[in-house]
Amino acid sequence: MSDARVHHPGLFRATAGAIAAVAVALPLLGGVMGGISPYFANIIGQIATFALLAVALDLIWGYAGILSLGHGLFFATGGYLIAMHLLKAGFEFGGITPDFMVFMGWSEFPGFWAGLEHFPYALALIVLLPGALALVYGFVSFRSRVSGVYFAIITQALTYIAMLLMFRNDTGFGGNNGMTGFSEVLGQPIGAPSVVIGLATVSVLLLLAGFLFAGWLTSTSFGRLLIAIRDDEARLRFLGYETLWPKLAIWSLSAVLAALAGALYVPQVGIINPRLLSPDLSIEIAVWVALGGRGALSGAVIGAAIISALKFWLSGFAPDLWPFILAGVVLVVVVVLPNGLLDLRGLLHRRPAFGNILSEKRNG
Amino acid sequence: MDKVEVPSGDQALRVDGLRVAFGDFVAIPNLSFLVNFGEVHGVIGPNGAGKTTLLDAITGKTRPAEGRILLNRTTDLLALDEPERALAGVGRKFQKPSVFEALSVRENLELALRLRPRSILGELRNWSDPRRKARADEVLDEIGLAARAETPAGALAHGQKQWLEIGMLLMQRPKLLMLDEPVAGMTATETAHTAELIRRLRAPERAILVIEHDMDFVEEIADRVTVLHGGDPIFEGRMADARADARVREVYLGR
Ligand SMILES: Nc1ncnc2c1ncn2[C@@H]1O[C@H](COP(=O)(O)OP(=O)(O)OP(=O)(O)O)[C@@H](O)[C@H]1O
Ligand SMILES: [Mg+2]
Repeated sequence: MSDARVHHPGLFRATAGAIAAVAVALPLLGGVMGGISPYFANIIGQIATFALLAVALDLIWGYAGILSLGHGLFFATGGYLIAMHLLKAGFEFGGITPDFMVFMGWSEFPGFWAGLEHFPYALALIVLLPGALALVYGFVSFRSRVSGVYFAIITQALTYIAMLLMFRNDTGFGGNNGMTGFSEVLGQPIGAPSVVIGLATVSVLLLLAGFLFAGWLTSTSFGRLLIAIRDDEARLRFLGYETLWPKLAIWSLSAVLAALAGALYVPQVGIINPRLLSPDLSIEIAVWVALGGRGALSGAVIGAAIISALKFWLSGFAPDLWPFILAGVVLVVVVVLPNGLLDLRGLLHRRPAFGNILSEKRNG
Repeated sequence: MDKVEVPSGDQALRVDGLRVAFGDFVAIPNLSFLVNFGEVHGVIGPNGAGKTTLLDAITGKTRPAEGRILLNRTTDLLALDEPERALAGVGRKFQKPSVFEALSVRENLELALRLRPRSILGELRNWSDPRRKARADEVLDEIGLAARAETPAGALAHGQKQWLEIGMLLMQRPKLLMLDEPVAGMTATETAHTAELIRRLRAPERAILVIEHDMDFVEEIADRVTVLHGGDPIFEGRMADARADARVREVYLGR
């Protein structure tokens, strides 16, 4: 049972406008007395990367109906690559030896770090590596018709395997302590207020770009094809569409967006360690999107912003409460708001666009 | 009621020695039959007779253990995957109405038209080809949903969804049109409307295979029927004769 297309042009424009306003306000008011403090700008910047991550998941889950519980893997891949770039550049140009090398007693970087001090190369890897990873995994699973809950569980398992791998100290990725102690980004001191505000601004701008791009993409004929895949993939195949290719395209695109978000997140938070690969983050992303409303890009942004803002605020005095609050949000969405916050707008004439959150597609 | 003579057009579909098994359970042991162009062929049989399984085998949803399925004498359907079979001219309406609920009625139809069957990207690039809209308008009239063109398919009544799905197949001008229980759950008026629609769809270059439980409906639209029981054809001929056939009566009433 499904509602009209989840399309809210007014809400979309309002969200785009709000993101643009933040992008303008950050450099204007950032660092000014009584304006936006670097601390606050940093939080806004981090939330923007989460929102972009949510947009990435919404593209694949809300539009194509493919739930990933492994987007943390792509986010972390982008994060690790940028961290390697920052450390390598700090070493080559600033002479700073990363902590993990000191800890391991290494005097040289492992071979695969070669060239990472160059930003364009690192950026290319940030796009290509997660893209290739997604292509391979997507091709294998979509080809063998793995879908629904099974697909989601395997993405989660892969992320978990990556976490175990990263926990090892001898793999050259910083082990359980991860990577930290970044000194400069593109030659600028990373802790300087202007750099903090600059990174936050770039994050918000990238969110805006990703949001507008996703909005455009889903309004094209390709977007209709995605919705058709979500609504009834078998029907579409029996109309002569090989659904493997469009699924693979949106899945890989989503992975790249998630990696870009991760690459902006890590310089702002100042550290990456394997905990980013724990199931928590990947599940939390799905909660953001479910709370905001699947298949409405604004919902993804709003859901991510609300929940992560709440988490930041709570982390100040009651971090232990977080799992309970998250669980509460999940319950409310599953029981009361199947379309997330979008349901609040139309509680009177409500028709769920999706049944159960994990429902399998029917056919036959 | 007077019956049209069984059309003797060329073979549209030929099923030879088809065997379909699910594990140890044999749904269709050994089935052969023919459908000609220009014909409306009914397939009836009690629940579990293997009717849907037959369509699954023809469309590629299920892989048969043995047998041969030829479209238009030459196309070996078993060598193709599902999308390829659809593009070769096999259209299928599912037993449960299957439409894209979040898309509008018009979008459902437009998506079904394949102007560039070789490439999805080509199809999407040519989305605004005027032929697409024109064909959709034609089909909207044909299925009587012109007034609901911009309605999301999910908001349609059950019967209208069935017509929309038939309309999606019409967009493709299939050589072989297969309808799995097109009037299940329909009111008498809707059923009459559907019968009329199917009669209008009959064409010399098309074969229509209709699976249905409603015998009066089948008698009204089909030239010939095949009665399946346990995957075996126990009768083939006119519906009126099927009603009088001892084995058919036994299968339907006798247990
Ligand atoms: N995927 C499957 N796995 C196992 N058994 C199946 C499968 N599909 C169908 N069957 C079995 O094959 C037999 C034929 O089923 P089929 O759906 O073809 O019947 P049908 O004639 O379409 O019945 P109905 O009128 O109820 O739709 C049934 O016994 C069914 O349980
Ligand atoms: Mg059936």
